[in-house]
Amino acid sequence: MLVLATSAGVVRPLVRASVLLSLPITISVVLVSVFTRAGTTVLFTIGPFDATLEGVEFAAQTLVRLFAISASIGLFVLTTDPRALVLDLERRGVSPRFAFVAAATIEAVPTLVERAATISESQRARGLDTEGGVVARLRGLLPIVGPVVITSLTDVEERSLALESRAFSRPGARHLLWAMPDTGWERILRWLLAAVLLALIVARIVGVPLPVID
Amino acid sequence: MTTLRLEGVGFVYPDGTRALENVDLAIAPGEAVAIIGQNGSGKSTLVRQLDGLLRPTEGRVLHDERDIADVRVAALAATVGIVFQNPDRQIFAGKVRREVEFGPRMLGRQGAELSAAVDAALAAVDLADAADANPYDLGYTRRKLLTLASVLAMGTPVVVLDEPTTGQDARGVRRVEQVIADIAAAGRTVIAISHDMRFVAETFARVVVMGGGRILLDGTPGDVFTEANWPTLESTFVEPPYAARVGARLGLGATPTEASVVAALASSAAAHDADQR
Amino acid sequence: MLRLTDVGYRYAGYARQVLHDIDLTLADGEIVGLVGANEAGKSTLCLVASGLAPGSIGGALSGRLEIDGEDMAGKPLHEFATRVGIAFQNPATQLSGITGSVFEEVALGPMNLGLPARETVDRVKAALAALGIESLAEREPRRLSGGQGQLVVIASLLAMRPRHLVLDEPTAQLDPEGTRLVGEALRQLAKAGTAMLLVEHKTDLLDALTSRVAVVADGTLVADGPSPDILEDPRLDAWGVEPPSRIRLGRAIAAAGMDPARVPA
Repeated sequence: MLVLATSAGVVRPLVRASVLLSLPITISVVLVSVFTRAGTTVLFTIGPFDATLEGVEFAAQTLVRLFAISASIGLFVLTTDPRALVLDLERRGVSPRFAFVAAATIEAVPTLVERAATISESQRARGLDTEGGVVARLRGLLPIVGPVVITSLTDVEERSLALESRAFSRPGARHLLWAMPDTGWERILRWLLAAVLLALIVARIVGVPLPVID
Repeated sequence: MTTLRLEGVGFVYPDGTRALENVDLAIAPGEAVAIIGQNGSGKSTLVRQLDGLLRPTEGRVLHDERDIADVRVAALAATVGIVFQNPDRQIFAGKVRREVEFGPRMLGRQGAELSAAVDAALAAVDLADAADANPYDLGYTRRKLLTLASVLAMGTPVVVLDEPTTGQDARGVRRVEQVIADIAAAGRTVIAISHDMRFVAETFARVVVMGGGRILLDGTPGDVFTEANWPTLESTFVEPPYAARVGARLGLGATPTEASVVAALASSAAAHDADQR
Repeated sequence: MLRLTDVGYRYAGYARQVLHDIDLTLADGEIVGLVGANEAGKSTLCLVASGLAPGSIGGALSGRLEIDGEDMAGKPLHEFATRVGIAFQNPATQLSGITGSVFEEVALGPMNLGLPARETVDRVKAALAALGIESLAEREPRRLSGGQGQLVVIASLLAMRPRHLVLDEPTAQLDPEGTRLVGEALRQLAKAGTAMLLVEHKTDLLDALTSRVAVVADGTLVADGPSPDILEDPRLDAWGVEPPSRIRLGRAIAAAGMDPARVPA
């Protein structure tokens, strides 16, 4: 997956986004697993809690899986052109409204990032320290989260009003002006991926041993 | 009180766009300066250099002749407070009072000193009666005034306002003009970005015109808006205030404000009468 | 012609009547300015006139909205879209974000109406021509300047062929050049017969563009008449509205004991 990401030129934003987005879960996974996983090799103790080696191993496993999931979602989001997605979904019979929502969801990530940056500017200009240590940065999240949420909601409201005024909610099909090119290459790859996924599922059910991170 | 200076400042955004080119600008303590020019001329980029939100790619930014390159934004916020255009990009507290407290608290003010600063700021923008209200129960005009109060309460020697009158109704504009007059009278430096030329000419003693990342003109409203400069103003899509245009048409000389038009008419009438006798 | 008769409106979940006793008519080719203090009800009036209130945001509407003689009560939103378009102040949230070119953007509306491809293309071309932005057809909507973005928004509305346009502070976020572009475009549209309701704080702009001005205060219309009369009304200040520059200057001159008629219009 990292290979794909590199070829698409999005490795750094992908890694950064994946790590940032999974940070809250990562922290809780680490805390819970390391300290409460039943195990025999105790590494160190804090109060009533023992940090075990088994716990660390389990945490590591879980984190790798988490990273794989968030990275694949991230890769999809960063490399998909929402316009192409919308077009194609609709040509295959998906309702234009649903297709639009899918595209808008994808657009939402870069928009959110940009919005957070602007809001962060306002708060930094009032003395919020975002260049300090981790604790300072975490404390600094609250004055950013609130306005991000509110401006995002306002944004959604404005957008939906504008869409309504373009007859977006009119039922019925549309005659599209354009089509998304579908090369033979891509078609083959799609079928191949589906086949591999099916094979993996069957193998799991049947009990064929597969390389798994353990 | 702080002197601000930009020395040969240039700025290029990460995507390669050049936003500032060789900008030299000195602002003395207590000055009231308006920065005007078309969108994209570098106005917003310039003010962000003043508190370190953006760092110059060329040149230096100096506070009291000391380079601020190594000073953190959070520290510079004690000197330069910026009120941005959209209030909703800043407001996060559930109560007006708490929102205004945020800035001064970040700067280390506490207790009685903090309350006094907040009360004074709320009174200055006429929001004292709404101190316990939820900011989102206030209308847009009052929310804009709230963000102004939040920065005022920080007591910074320099206050920067980004489009303070945009979207405001008549009352809101007048309140902003009053606040600026008050803080200027208290000796604080005020810098504002604005597209409202009447507001600019009437409220600021100095106007800086930007175009293509450079400073094109820098002087009093009378100097800047005089007819000889109109082609330059046009190049950055600035239209001189109505008063200036009328004054030029009537041959009254430089008349950037209504008061100056009236004065010029009065003296030309007096001169006319004197000739007649 | 768009006519509001005895219209009142309450937002969903709120008890307060934000609008009451509104009587307003927009005739073909007329640009009517709407002014008033912030929170007086101007934006709400725009939402009501375009059918978005209650059609999209709910709430309780009383009174009658008639467009070209037809009572619009209960009609679905897409039927409003072909009769009255509405533009807001932020181009970024009005451009769909899912199109790669201005041409595609303007085509969205007609496509949503289920029109055949040929007709959609014709309409897009006509809309771009009406606003003089044919040269922007291949540009990416997100890379346009504010003024250009607003022109594309208006073109997108026009492609649905409404005879009425409601514009809620379309130049609020634009620089003077953008304001000029939009003002010019609106003037051309009025000449071609579109009726417009234009909400703005910039009374100089309204002075130049409108034939009539209506004033909203506390949720109702307190004045409605020819622009020159309303913009000179001494009560504008009490209604939270700044008079145009020429009126202000005239008053300053008169206050100094001189004759304001010496000031060229």
